[in-house]
Amino acid sequence: MEDIGGSSSNDNNNNGGIIKEQDRLLPIANVGRLMKRILPQNAKISKEAKETMQECVSEFISFVTSEASEKCRKERRKTVNGDDICWALATLGFDNYAEPMRRYLHRYREVEVDHNKVNLQEKGNSPEEKDDELFKLSNRGVGL
Amino acid sequence: MVMADEEENGVSIQLEFPKGRVKKIMALDKDVKRVSSEALFLVSRSTELFLQFLAEKSAQVAIEKKRKTVNLEHIRVAVKRHQPTRDFLLDELPPPSQAAKPDKPTQPAGRPKLDPAPRGTRCIDQFFRKPEPENTAQAPGQPPENPAQAQSPENPDQDQAQSPVPVDES
Repeated sequence: MEDIGGSSSNDNNNNGGIIKEQDRLLPIANVGRLMKRILPQNAKISKEAKETMQECVSEFISFVTSEASEKCRKERRKTVNGDDICWALATLGFDNYAEPMRRYLHRYREVEVDHNKVNLQEKGNSPEEKDDELFKLSNRGVGL
Repeated sequence: MVMADEEENGVSIQLEFPKGRVKKIMALDKDVKRVSSEALFLVSRSTELFLQFLAEKSAQVAIEKKRKTVNLEHIRVAVKRHQPTRDFLLDELPPPSQAAKPDKPTQPAGRPKLDPAPRGTRCIDQFFRKPEPENTAQAPGQPPENPAQAQSPENPDQDQAQSPVPVDES
């Protein structure tokens, strides 16, 4: 679980509520690299197009997050989970993404369970320590 | 699809965007309190798919317009063509440049357009033109060649009065 409400809002408050441009957008190098991979080899991308695409993907993240968050609020839940994201994508008209995302989610959960099992077996700790380890894992999130 | 291959081959799923940055963008929404790691993963992954989709469509537009470089206008057209994307993204794009609007003809870069000269003034090139004979009839469809005549038709003698004195070459 990742508590994201605290750290970033504190950062913003320290700067007088100003959000840095780099925090609001995804890195332009990653955006450009991904675009190049899709486009034909002889195609080029203008700097303006990359910057616009940066804005577009950030807007997409906010759009999907907002919809998923609204669902959580209505259901009186504090944590946005994978199912909420899949639901938001389908609701917002990105049905063609929702199905692949469900498959990704299923795969992700399988991998996460495997990671947890391996970590617990390696530790061989007492039940209390095992619970503590699970808590740490859920907080950390598994990097794939 | 790419994802199916990844699953079959057992390749670990790698994200293109840094999770920390995605998390910060999600945190800009004040209503979001907590996000699970799986939600963060799915948002990152769906963002990649969205970027790929938009890049592909923009490239198609560029090809249609016989351009090798994808630019902002191509992205704009791609956004307009996809309803769900248009709903949330069209207003966020920067406004179209003046060059994109065909209704206003663009001014050539040579010299700026000046305000029209006051009545009675003549262009300097009038000085170097031969005065035309008075009895020459003007064709009905054509505008007068002389700009001074065009500006002040009510004063036809103006040209004669202000024409330069012929120089005696002897």
